[in-house]
Amino acid sequence: MGRTLLIVDDSPIARKILIRCLPPDETFRILEAGNGEIALKVYQAERPDITFMDLTMPVVDGFQSIVDIRKFDPEAVIIVATADIQTKTLFRVLDAGALMVLKKPMSREGVKDALEKAEEVLKDSERRR
Amino acid sequence: MSRQSESIFTANEKDILQEVMNIAFGKASADLAEVIDIYVVLSVPDVALLNASELAGYIGSEIRDFERISVVEQSFMGRFQGVALLIFPSEAGRKLISILGQEDEQSALHSIALLERETLMEVGNILIGACVGKLAELLDDQITYSPPRVLVEDDPRATVTRDMFDPDSTAIVMRTLFSFENENISGYLFLITRNESIAWMVSALHSFMERYE
Repeated sequence: MGRTLLIVDDSPIARKILIRCLPPDETFRILEAGNGEIALKVYQAERPDITFMDLTMPVVDGFQSIVDIRKFDPEAVIIVATADIQTKTLFRVLDAGALMVLKKPMSREGVKDALEKAEEVLKDSERRR
Repeated sequence: MSRQSESIFTANEKDILQEVMNIAFGKASADLAEVIDIYVVLSVPDVALLNASELAGYIGSEIRDFERISVVEQSFMGRFQGVALLIFPSEAGRKLISILGQEDEQSALHSIALLERETLMEVGNILIGACVGKLAELLDDQITYSPPRVLVEDDPRATVTRDMFDPDSTAIVMRTLFSFENENISGYLFLITRNESIAWMVSALHSFMERYE
């Protein structure tokens, strides 16, 4: 089994699209959450390797969820997957500790690149332990 | 959605349209933020299938907190066709003038009322054009627009007029609530598709998902 991914998005369609964009030659364990509140609970219980995070969600949005998860695990690897492509949004989420931003609609190429970048960070972190 | 609605537009199709609308409005917000120094706070869009006769009541209920409103109305034509309504409380026009920095430059030449209309028209052009355009692009359609017009209404329920839609027809209504950070301005964008677009829309939504098969 490869890396564990947590996909946080209130839209079941967005989660499905992201799963379909994952590299087919790799195996992942997939966890899903529909908002930031559930995401934190799943994160605390399962400690996923990589979290894909939407921003505009009910209950607890992605901006807050990044802060919550990074408070629990300062090394959490979070890739923001959003339709909110305003420059200020990019700065806000990077300041909060997200690794990078993936623009919706997702592409297989974009997801592959994001996973490769996340993998570098994870390996670097594992080497330091 | 009613049971009758579900037979023409399934919950899955509604979810796809909601996500497509989310992407489209995200693009519109980024375009607006690029043109004027503003940050658009987005909310989760909503999609409903309604009889045209229910539209005025639905919109009136959504914007019930606005006493008087300013509306930018623009029709779009393609396989995806209908009407976009960008609705602000009436005082938003004046606030937007100062955000756009037009007050000092042009107030000597224009009346404030005219400036408000021009400002609303400009914001409407960007938000509606980018949102509808992106939606059409994602669903592989090409559209044209009628010129936008600005209306000021005392009765929010008057935004949807009787002659806008055949009362017996069905309409898909996409609604996004947004606000401008630090400016105390919020507004709604409604995209209302005509009955004729529904069959095409269902097929286009499935084609959109097939790209990810």
